[in-house]
Amino acid sequence: MTRISRCRIALLAVGLIVAFGSLCTRAPAALDMNVGVSKVVANQPVSACNASAKTALNSVLQNAVQLGGDTGEWLAFAAPDSANGSTAAAAIHCYPVGGSYLVTFTCAAQVPPSPDSAAALCTKLTAAFDSGAR
Amino acid sequence: MHKINRSVRLGGAIILNLKRGVWLFALAILLGSLSHTAAVASVDLSSGIRYVSDSGTLSDCSAKAKAALESYLPGATESSPGSGEWFAMGQNIATGAASSGATVRCYPLPKGYVVTFICAVQLPANPYPAHALCLNIAHKFYGGAITPLAAMPTATPVPTGCATTNLVGNWVSDTDPKLTFNMQLNGDLTDNEGVSGNWIIDGETVTLTYYGNHTLKLSPDGKHLSGPGYNLTRKC
Repeated sequence: MTRISRCRIALLAVGLIVAFGSLCTRAPAALDMNVGVSKVVANQPVSACNASAKTALNSVLQNAVQLGGDTGEWLAFAAPDSANGSTAAAAIHCYPVGGSYLVTFTCAAQVPPSPDSAAALCTKLTAAFDSGAR
Repeated sequence: MHKINRSVRLGGAIILNLKRGVWLFALAILLGSLSHTAAVASVDLSSGIRYVSDSGTLSDCSAKAKAALESYLPGATESSPGSGEWFAMGQNIATGAASSGATVRCYPLPKGYVVTFICAVQLPANPYPAHALCLNIAHKFYGGAITPLAAMPTATPVPTGCATTNLVGNWVSDTDPKLTFNMQLNGDLTDNEGVSGNWIIDGETVTLTYYGNHTLKLSPDGKHLSGPGYNLTRKC
């Protein structure tokens, strides 16, 4: 076997190690789900909740939609990344309670690759909701 | 002059071969990366199923929520005692990671209660979508058609050493009983003196890398390896 052939084989081996070795270092993705805050906001109409829910979801995720028309149940997904679909999603539900409203947050994330855990996502959404509700 | 020409040709050949080597290196990386390109994965979230009961208390709702969740996901827990917010996660056994989750929230009404269902799954690790999970949990709660969900994949059993479809386990030479081999799951082999090598199986053809390469045949019952230089019998 010539020196050049050995060199070729060595390069091929290094290439295979680099390529297949990366497979072993990849962490398995797991679903992370969080039951976020549930709170009653006094003396506010449910329409205010709907407006804040939409704003919060669009600021943290994208394309917030209200399910089935005027249900007060809002849903949004993160922008799909280049390798995956959406790796995060959240729901904000608004329910009228007398002259007040009840709002709930539920979040899900695929970690990795989502940079935020489901709890972190819900925290961001709650903060965005609160800033929009002021 | 001849020597100079020869040197130039030799130099050119080396450069050409190094170029080939670099191409092989790039090809190996490309093939390797293609072979384990991850399937497109995403989070699927289902929301929108709700049910209003004109009778019953929050604790009635909680009991049913826990039971409905645990029909599909193990270990439902209440986010805080008496809150009526129930939550459970399910695991894909093959990957060992969570791939599904659901929350059932109960709210008291002046008469009865309202209950909502939200589910999330990770696709394609989970074999069914979030909506299918939520619909079944909801139907379990308030009654309705239950659609069988696709079975969760189970972990591939680790070869025991007696499986006839691979070489994992211990082997003894038919001609020299002192010569034994331990074939490992990762393709390594070690003989009785600690000398290491490798094995690969493709159908019935086995390549043993042990003091050179040896092509052997695996018998139909998976218990014998035979070929030039080596005849081995499996020891379970």
